[in-house]
Amino acid sequence: MSKIKVENVSFVYSAGTPFEVKALDDVTIEIKENTITGIIGHTGSGKSTLVQMFNGLVKPMSGRILLDGEDIWEKPKSIGSVRYRVGLVMQYPEYQLFEDTVIEDISFGPKNMGLDPDEIKKRVLEACELVGLDFDMLSKSPFDLSGGQKRRAAIAGVMAMRPEVLVLDEPAAGLDPAGRNSIFDGIKRYADATGAAVIIVSHSMDDMAKYCDELVVLSHSKVAMFGNRKEVFSRSRELEAIGLGVPQITRLVMLLRDKGIEISPDIYTVDEAETALAALFGGGV
Amino acid sequence: MSYIKIRNLNFSYKDDEGNPESVLRDLSLDIEKGEYVAVLGHNGSGKSTLAKLLNLVIEDYDYFEGSIEIDGMEISSPNMTEDDVYELRKKVGMVFQNPDNQIVATIVEEDVAFGPENLGLPREEIRARVDEALRIVGMTEYSRHEPHRLSGGQKQRIAIAGIIAMRPDCIIFDESTAMLDPMGRREVVNTMEKLNREDGKTIITITHYMDEAVRADRVIVIDDGRIILDGKPSEIFAKADKIRECGLDLPLCSDLLIKLRERGIRLDGEINTPEQCAETIARSLLK
Repeated sequence: MSKIKVENVSFVYSAGTPFEVKALDDVTIEIKENTITGIIGHTGSGKSTLVQMFNGLVKPMSGRILLDGEDIWEKPKSIGSVRYRVGLVMQYPEYQLFEDTVIEDISFGPKNMGLDPDEIKKRVLEACELVGLDFDMLSKSPFDLSGGQKRRAAIAGVMAMRPEVLVLDEPAAGLDPAGRNSIFDGIKRYADATGAAVIIVSHSMDDMAKYCDELVVLSHSKVAMFGNRKEVFSRSRELEAIGLGVPQITRLVMLLRDKGIEISPDIYTVDEAETALAALFGGGV
Repeated sequence: MSYIKIRNLNFSYKDDEGNPESVLRDLSLDIEKGEYVAVLGHNGSGKSTLAKLLNLVIEDYDYFEGSIEIDGMEISSPNMTEDDVYELRKKVGMVFQNPDNQIVATIVEEDVAFGPENLGLPREEIRARVDEALRIVGMTEYSRHEPHRLSGGQKQRIAIAGIIAMRPDCIIFDESTAMLDPMGRREVVNTMEKLNREDGKTIITITHYMDEAVRADRVIVIDDGRIILDGKPSEIFAKADKIRECGLDLPLCSDLLIKLRERGIRLDGEINTPEQCAETIARSLLK
């Protein structure tokens, strides 16, 4: 079911000055429940502006953002409640850790929601489990954690509010491969456990191919493509043309097809390619 | 003689209580002039510290044992003067992760000129170096632009041009592609390759992207402050278990071909890049 609708949204920075920059131009997309939606686009394509609109940090200059069918700017004074329902994890969220201990930090959001202490504790532990953070870490200072652990603690802080929509801007930036996998696996666990609508912004086509069901491609402030993985990645030449490229595995499949090997073009991950190629090699014996 | 010669290097930071925290342990390494080396390791493995020591961005001799020699200069010596450090930074330049932190001027060519100006070079020489550097990174047409209006990849290429204008022998890239979009990454990696192949620069790149590492001639894996693997990309990524133990991963296409081999499918040939993998699969399937 549709959770968020972005209807004909536009936004201009420094409007009315010589430095006017169009960030979003008539953007219309739909974000579904129980679905991981990826947003991809080159630097300056409007991704971050769009992401900040989902929870009302940036207000569209025209168009509407509908959450469960209601315009979030209908009553501007109650925009605060939207921020509990739509959780936003910004880039490098570990820079926003500030409490003395990890547990206080993760509790900060739920506490502000006015939940009772037992419920807060329950949610904090649940969030730690989802992101794979050891309970031993809870009593430590956030600054004693490693980079990857800090990142997970910061994400847990947003998950502990149990948002119906979880938005993450480049959640794995700067992490090593093991760290990346653990962040994405945590996000996937949250999506599966809560049925929330999850939105991920990333530059990695490989991560997008592996984790996302739906994809939005932004280019020069407009929606260039919107659809499921297959619909988007099958337009590989256009993706290359806007400077984004395709997953490495898809590139390999395209090369194989160029060589006359009959393999489905709709292959994006290692597992999918392994199955398809093993079949071509006669079941792998 | 090696261009970079590191012998039994031990390095530690001091934690909050003042106790030493070991980062590099008994590390020895030789890098020849003109090599293209990728350094891999999980967050906290010590790889960034190593890179920063080569340029003396970390200058704490207290926690420093062993020796680092660059182009015959003993940079680990406590007798290094400020002038010596400047001399070193002319030989070894460094490009960092965040392009926005590396740009100082409001016009591209002035930014690139910043280094050579500080060397006190004559005007014509500075002009020539700036033009050459912008040409090498493919940014000549942007010379009069404002850097803050450029894309991440373009800004990073301006930062590289600023280093090239110093005419170093060696350029270290410390996760210089981590914040870039796919196009920006491609631009920067192509520039690295070009600097190595065409201008003979020694390139050391620290990265978390395995598909970038396979493009180097040599891959070094650091874990817990030690070098645990050192060889050609194909030799390194053949050790899948060891790579995963260090919190790293294989390039996706290599991973795929190794899984197929484990199923008993015979695939002979190189498996580093998507192109090589396609070649190897096609040869086996179509024979």
